Amino acid sequence: MKIALWSFAHTHALSYWHVLSQRADVELVVTDPDHGRRGNEPGGEALAAQLGVTYLPDYAATLDWGAEAVVICSENSDHRRLTELAAAGGAHVLCEKPIATSVEDAEAMITACAEAGVSLMVAYPVRFSPDFVQLKQTVDAGALGQVLAITGTNNGQIPMDARAWFVDPELAGGGSLTDHTVHVADLIDCLFDGVPARSVYASTNKILHGDRVSVETGGMVSVEYANDVIATVDCSWSKPDSYPTWGGLTLQLVASGGIADLDAFASRVDGHSETRRNGLWLAYGTNADELMINEFLDAVSTGRRPQPDGEAGLRSLRVVQAGYASVRSGQPVALD
Amino acid sequence: MAAQTEDSTEHSTEDSTGRPGRDRPLRIAMIGAGGIARAHLPAWLALGAQVNVYSLEGTEQLIADCGGGTACSSLEEAFADRDAVDVVTSTDAHREIVEAAAAAGLDVLCEKPICRTAADTAAVLDACERAGVQLYPGHVVRFFPAYATMHAAVADGAVGRVAVQRFSRTGSRPVRAWFHDPAISGGIVLDQIIHDIDFACWNAGDVATVFGRATRTGSRETGVDTAQLVLTHVDGTVSYVTGTWARPGTVFRTTFEIAGPDGLLRHDSTAHPAITVDTGAADASAGDGEGTGLLPAMPGESPFLTEIREIAAAFAGGPPPRVSAADGLRAVAVAEAGVRSIAEGRAVAVAEVMEGITAGRTA
Repeated sequence: MKIALWSFAHTHALSYWHVLSQRADVELVVTDPDHGRRGNEPGGEALAAQLGVTYLPDYAATLDWGAEAVVICSENSDHRRLTELAAAGGAHVLCEKPIATSVEDAEAMITACAEAGVSLMVAYPVRFSPDFVQLKQTVDAGALGQVLAITGTNNGQIPMDARAWFVDPELAGGGSLTDHTVHVADLIDCLFDGVPARSVYASTNKILHGDRVSVETGGMVSVEYANDVIATVDCSWSKPDSYPTWGGLTLQLVASGGIADLDAFASRVDGHSETRRNGLWLAYGTNADELMINEFLDAVSTGRRPQPDGEAGLRSLRVVQAGYASVRSGQPVALD
Repeated sequence: MAAQTEDSTEHSTEDSTGRPGRDRPLRIAMIGAGGIARAHLPAWLALGAQVNVYSLEGTEQLIADCGGGTACSSLEEAFADRDAVDVVTSTDAHREIVEAAAAAGLDVLCEKPICRTAADTAAVLDACERAGVQLYPGHVVRFFPAYATMHAAVADGAVGRVAVQRFSRTGSRPVRAWFHDPAISGGIVLDQIIHDIDFACWNAGDVATVFGRATRTGSRETGVDTAQLVLTHVDGTVSYVTGTWARPGTVFRTTFEIAGPDGLLRHDSTAHPAITVDTGAADASAGDGEGTGLLPAMPGESPFLTEIREIAAAFAGGPPPRVSAADGLRAVAVAEAGVRSIAEGRAVAVAEVMEGITAGRTA
């Protein structure tokens, strides 16, 4: 399979490159033509050379090369432009999350891919983690009874030191509410097979790193779903810069028949390093990125629709956008 | 103790002279003999207090089980020759008893919530202030060692200005039916989640707006009850508090995480057990009338003893304890805003709940 990786803007690009480069059945090329606007951050032809992967000068060149599918890791605000470009070139799309920075953009992406007859998948790896899969199987088997309420957390370090665009409201679409609500929202979407949100309330602030950025850095998002499940997501960038790992994700389900807790990054060896003057956090869990890429490539090669698809990406984006509307109004926002 | 000074001079028995709690034992009237009384009475007895107990039911059994206390057959009899009153009845009876205690010139420890509504709570604060008696709400979580340690660190700037904090509280549903009647207890928000509401306010100050959602399954007596509140504090901190009354036998578990620009503090009552004993068989007993929602497994002395020792010292003329009547009113007001938000599906300003209420705001 001929696959093109589009842009090194998102830090996840390196993980996807690693997974793709390990696959014997994948021919991989990379392009990062907009690297110049990211200043001295790693990227472009130099990073490709460092990784030992073939670099092509721009997006069109990778389509001309014959890319069957592209993996888009650009700034969020470019997702629509690049997806439409790929669709026009007949390439399937795996797009980094969030799907877009507006509902309108996401809908245009879904339409473009549908009309071109290509797949659109959104990169939500946590739903592929075996621990989450086990949780979903537990729920589906009825072992917990009826799920009533969920508390989710996706707290991390502020990503601006790796890539400054994460805190640019234009390029990212917002701050932590954009970056960290959607992973948990996607897990809930997966748990309940695409249940839409009915009402969203959010409260945010800029107390963390407020002197450095203009976007929100902390907050809570309260959601009521169409199946009556209520959920609250802590989307804060609340892990300190010196924290021994990037962050984590947890999910607690309160159900009629019991309570279930998921710590998606629990698999680790803990320790302490005198040299680093910090805790050691040595993750050994399954590489969910690899399972996610496998799903995408399998769907591409067999012609079936991958999940989570563009519609799933749109549902979790709607939660975020309603969250911003709620922050502006101070009241919950109803969704159709 | 303003009214108590006169009281002491009126009694001629030698037993009544001297400063209560210092030169002679504190004399307490405990009103109520339910689940929480079983945590309070041993604490009073451990402090050497003489305790009159009056309750509509369960008095003799409580005294027998705790090995101390004197049964009384009326409120008046219980109040006679006392220094202070400990109100541990169901919530709906608090106002009448606290006002009677104030009228009798007795200091008061009142289980949380002081009352079901901010208006009733403010009236109680007024009555105590007019009578010149002390009133403290039993927000015992402030005395739990993990929470007290966390708060001291937060107050010392360990995380900087608090940005985001989460609190959760889960236990098996209380067995006694009155907890599940909102008209009596106020429901899970006013009875259980109010612990963490008070603590969120202790860390981050007054709350401007509350948004809540709640859900349950099954009947109030046998189902699962859970609620989630998002509190936006006046200074911008966002707090999340959630509580669950779960199935019988559910492990009592509390968690918190406090995040600020300079770091994180977190705790899970089920993590880091000091001692673990595996006997190979699950004990799924439902516990007492409080379900398993009274105390998590923890080392050291009962936080109820820590609480009552500090409040007893205040009754004896010592420094004020770490919790005030105004704290109790604030917690009730925030909880009431949460209940109103859950019912009406909108964010509710605490100022809306406090509209027209003037008492207790300067306490």
